[in-house]
Amino acid sequence: MTAVTVATPSLAPSTGVRRVFRQLRRDPTGMLGATICTVFLVTAALAPLLAPNAAQGRGATDVGARELAPGWAHLFGTDHLGRDLLSRVLLGSRPALGSAAAVVALAVLIGVPIGLVAGFRGGLLGEALMRVTDLFLSFPPLLLAMVIAALLGPTLLHAAIALAISWWPWYARLTRSVTQSLRREPFIDAARVFGVREPVILIRHVLRNAATPILVQATIDGGTVILAIGSLSFLGLGAQPPTPDWGLMVADGRTTVLTEWWIATFPGLAIFVVALGLNLLGDALRDILDPRSGR
Amino acid sequence: MLHWLGRRLLTSFVTLFGITTITFLLARVIPSDPAAVYIGPLARPAEIARVTKQLGLDRPLPVQYVKYLRALLRGDWGTSLATKEPVLGGIVHRLPATLELVLLAMLIAVVIGIPLGVLTARRAGRASDAGVRVGSVIGISMPVFWLGLLLQAIFSGKLGWLPATSRLSLETSVLQPIPHHTGFAVIDALVSGDWSGLRDAGEHVVLPAATLAAYPLGLITRMTRASMLDVLNQDYIRTARTFGLSERLIQWRLALRNALPATLTVAGLSFAYLLTGTFFVELVYDWPGIGQFGTNALLNQDYPVIMGITLFGAIGFLSINLAVDILQARLDPRVRLE
Amino acid sequence: MTLLSIDNLAVDFVRDGQVVSHALRGIDLSLDDGSALGVVGETGCGKTLTGLSTLRMLPPGARATGRVTFDGRDVLTLPEAELRNLRGKEISMVFQSPGTSFNPVFTIGSQLEQVARRHLGLRGAAKRDVVVETLRKVELPDPERTMRFYPHELSGGMLQRAMIAMAILCRPRLLIADEPTTALDVSIAEQILRLLRSLQQEYGFAVFFISHDLDLVGDFCDRIAVLYAGRVVETGTARELLERPRHPYTKALLEALPRHAQPGAMLPAVPGNVPTGLDDPVGCSFAERCPLAVADCTARRPLLAPIEERRSVACFRWEET
Repeated sequence: MTAVTVATPSLAPSTGVRRVFRQLRRDPTGMLGATICTVFLVTAALAPLLAPNAAQGRGATDVGARELAPGWAHLFGTDHLGRDLLSRVLLGSRPALGSAAAVVALAVLIGVPIGLVAGFRGGLLGEALMRVTDLFLSFPPLLLAMVIAALLGPTLLHAAIALAISWWPWYARLTRSVTQSLRREPFIDAARVFGVREPVILIRHVLRNAATPILVQATIDGGTVILAIGSLSFLGLGAQPPTPDWGLMVADGRTTVLTEWWIATFPGLAIFVVALGLNLLGDALRDILDPRSGR
Repeated sequence: MLHWLGRRLLTSFVTLFGITTITFLLARVIPSDPAAVYIGPLARPAEIARVTKQLGLDRPLPVQYVKYLRALLRGDWGTSLATKEPVLGGIVHRLPATLELVLLAMLIAVVIGIPLGVLTARRAGRASDAGVRVGSVIGISMPVFWLGLLLQAIFSGKLGWLPATSRLSLETSVLQPIPHHTGFAVIDALVSGDWSGLRDAGEHVVLPAATLAAYPLGLITRMTRASMLDVLNQDYIRTARTFGLSERLIQWRLALRNALPATLTVAGLSFAYLLTGTFFVELVYDWPGIGQFGTNALLNQDYPVIMGITLFGAIGFLSINLAVDILQARLDPRVRLE
Repeated sequence: MTLLSIDNLAVDFVRDGQVVSHALRGIDLSLDDGSALGVVGETGCGKTLTGLSTLRMLPPGARATGRVTFDGRDVLTLPEAELRNLRGKEISMVFQSPGTSFNPVFTIGSQLEQVARRHLGLRGAAKRDVVVETLRKVELPDPERTMRFYPHELSGGMLQRAMIAMAILCRPRLLIADEPTTALDVSIAEQILRLLRSLQQEYGFAVFFISHDLDLVGDFCDRIAVLYAGRVVETGTARELLERPRHPYTKALLEALPRHAQPGAMLPAVPGNVPTGLDDPVGCSFAERCPLAVADCTARRPLLAPIEERRSVACFRWEET
């Protein structure tokens, strides 16, 4: 299996959050990413208040106002069912955030414990776990998720589950390699000598140190996850109407892209901007926390 | 080297085994009614019962597995519920169309990406470098389907320079078909001297290939740049400079050769991405390849095709990784020791 | 015949327009055709940088002033193209760690061939023959076979020989040896030194030998220059300098050598630290660590001045040393 450069775990003691912020402020692209992410979070939180027409955002139709071009009344125009596109896009931040967070959380929840055990115990169990992990990695990334989502039945939840199933191996691998390096550290032996039991060692000592690279990886992954969810929904394997899912909206506008271009363009733009923000932020964090990763 | 190769092939074989197992489990275990996987979700209970018996779906799992494996090896990958064609045959038939896109996209990404990465590493810190870096992040942040639609809207809708969909125009495919040699429209037209066909095929392939190339292009440029920066700091580059070797030799041969392994890894991964990317691109551009086959299957719950394509995709991925590993060993003599 | 003459060479490191370090200050050295000059000092005294300056191989951010005259040409002002012709051909270098100094993805032979092709304009069989012959000269066994090995397949000693081969390939007039034996086992180091000396006698090149080991340099070189904190503090013939050092720092270095140690007593060390690149005291840089320091030493700077024929010291109290 060819290896991928994943955020190399730094064994420096957890760098102060304040220090990270300070360094982040000096990086213009990183700040741009952070700004975008903040805007995204705020939008998701306040969407119904920000949207000109929250009801339409959630799905209420207005057949009389179909396919209107962008203008003063509707900044992003309206879609095939007359709904204000700006509202739809704003409200779409919620399913986007929710599903992305769910995917990452699930992937971490499954992958990290597996990686911890595999890295700490090693031996036959570790090898076996890694073989299984590698097996999941031997499928082209999105393909497995697409198939699982199709088999489970298309809903946003199933899509998130499907993605989590294809994502956890990365976290397992990362956690395992971090754990392996940490296992050799003297403070682990010290804990053992003092009679601390293994599960406690794992959680309190190993996990705390592994948290940073895992977090960085989660942020870097954030962008890819947003894209993946959008992709699944675009194919019809994720969110179903009337959910204001961005991918779904792009699919809606696909057939009329040459004439009513706005219907597909703005939701797609939203996906792009959020993914960009997460990628920029993730890059900046990686550079701060592990400068070896080659700027 | 041979010893290493042998071990590597063995690992691949084992992985292949694992892939078929997972595919098998997916088809049998996840759906609540595996028989529906074969007949389609609209079947009636009597039919379901019959097929269940016929396909041995009531037998224990390991027995089913063996049966499944034997069928696979025989070439019997099932029959499409929608088009009634044999799955494997259907995939192979559509393969050239998809390969045409994928190979062209890879070519674009590599031919532009690697030199771009080398050049920006050299100019690290300057304006052009920053521009390219931003460009490559943009490349990997764009949803491929959206980019496709965007390009369609601009180059076909607004500017009218290129056709929006299909692989060939109606006139060419019906009235003046390109003689079949390889199945690759562009190559076939070139080889037969069919200039209008060549033009037609060329016009149609540009947008989809460009759409597909954006992500790998971004990835490859970034990786090459990062890798080159790393390499250019090494002692042996300093040695080369101390001995007066030309900067061109240093950059493009001495340094790049050391930077390529990392780029190669990323290129291999890109290929994998391209395999799934074709699902979206072929949908947007109405391109008659495996991706379109798969997308339709996913939406119509044409399970035999879904599983067939999954297996095919995984095998393809495996082969690419193997090829990449072999190339790595050729590039870096130290790898062969592992 | 003076081959190399370094006059008032100063190197500063600059970042964002500000000088962040004075690495070399006013270096004056000279080297005759075919002779060997040992440049000695602690880590960070600037000896490697001086060597690199003769090739104008300055690290990024470095700014050099002064004159480095090699065979009548000022290296610091040579146009790029001429400089590249000079490097590896008329002046070449042997580095400290041969393991990392070779490109890991090319065979030893092909790396030497690259140099042969560049500077000697050779191709094909002629190119290969020259490389084989040179590898034989550095006493590498079975050169035809050895040249097809990759760097990671050879031992440190063999790699250093290969490095030397690359350096003498084009018959340079000056060879800069930057701590060539520091990373090697003692026995291998001896062999390498013997090899270098015999090659020097045969080819007739001058050697700029950088080291922190006074004994080593005393054996190998005709003349020695001692550097401290970016400045030359003493020069002279090897014999004289080692027998009768005239600068307190040189004397301290000698006394700290293990062979001078008194059994049972601690090895004498020089108290204090080397000044950093930013300090630029008005007086002598060594004054705060010097056993002979007086008020005058911190008031004004002693310049490197000749006290005899071809013997210079930068100290006011050299007579008492």
